[in-house]
Amino acid sequence: MGLDSLDVFLRTVRDDLGLDIAIPEGADTALGDLPGWDSLNLLRLVALLEESGHRVPVHRLLGARSLREVHTLVKEYG
Amino acid sequence: MTAPGSPSLGPPLGEPVAVVPGGDSWDRVRDDLATHGTALVYAWLRDLEPVVPFGDGLRELLGRDWTRYLDLTHADVRGRYIASRMLLKQAASAVLDSDPADLELAYGPTGRPYLRGCDQIDISLSHTDDLLLVGLTTCGLIGVDAERADREMHGSGLGRHICTPYESVLLSGMPEPQRNDALVRLWTLKEAYSKAIGQGMQFRFTEFGFGPDGRAVRVQRPDGTAGTGDEWIFRTFPVADGYVVSAAVYDAGFGRLQDAHVTTMLDQDCVDAITEALGEDPDTP
Repeated sequence: MGLDSLDVFLRTVRDDLGLDIAIPEGADTALGDLPGWDSLNLLRLVALLEESGHRVPVHRLLGARSLREVHTLVKEYG
Repeated sequence: MTAPGSPSLGPPLGEPVAVVPGGDSWDRVRDDLATHGTALVYAWLRDLEPVVPFGDGLRELLGRDWTRYLDLTHADVRGRYIASRMLLKQAASAVLDSDPADLELAYGPTGRPYLRGCDQIDISLSHTDDLLLVGLTTCGLIGVDAERADREMHGSGLGRHICTPYESVLLSGMPEPQRNDALVRLWTLKEAYSKAIGQGMQFRFTEFGFGPDGRAVRVQRPDGTAGTGDEWIFRTFPVADGYVVSAAVYDAGFGRLQDAHVTTMLDQDCVDAITEALGEDPDTP
């Protein structure tokens, strides 16, 4: 499933990582303010993106402050 | 790289000390710091939440973290944030013999926390679910990490994002039921080490590794050859309720600090050198 749509991206992250993410409001929540968010979830997000055919450099993901910024990177790197 | 915890191996590092509000475990924490130069302290969120301050007391506890706290919107995240800072300041105040409110938590350029003006001690903080963990050392640098022992890592295919090629080979040679435990151990060791060096995940976990459990733990290069020496101490401990904690301690070679009191800010050699430079007799009142 493509992740170009922000809503689809948020739902995919919510379902795959098992996080409590409000849609669409959760897009702008700081990652550290997402219940259950931690560094392992960041790694799981990397794996999820790769499985979906998106190869966003980890150092760019580390700089993202919200899921909207992660999604922007997903679109940027295709 | 089996189940975590081989307390008889490697240089000494005291087992994590459980603390509860009003408890009497702080003497053990002070003893660990005096004996090993390092102390590991943990507490349960459920025990701390009922006693966290509010109002002006909370603002005093958080200090400069107050603004960051206000940015948090989720109650669970806020609760853990407060409790972790409270435990950290209580632990630090116990070994520094100071008031928690007098300690100021600050952050370096990479987000690494430190106690401003208290460079005789290094700190690290971790929390996961209900567990809060603090590491304190007078040796040099410390990083700690806590994780649920049963957290799913192997089955979700994270191994190739966590392991070096050498670790992957070792992991694949292990019985299937042991692989997740081994991966959780590696994860917490890597988190602890990367926190200690202030890199976080900027230092890719596939670029450095650790050997199997059951022998002295050292950082290894991706091919399994030695990466660091005896200056680093690594330990992994199981703790109650199914958690695993790891600690990475860098010994800068300063020797054991005999007095970690908060007022012990100047090294005596430094004081003597300054006194000599000023041409004063240090024994003259």
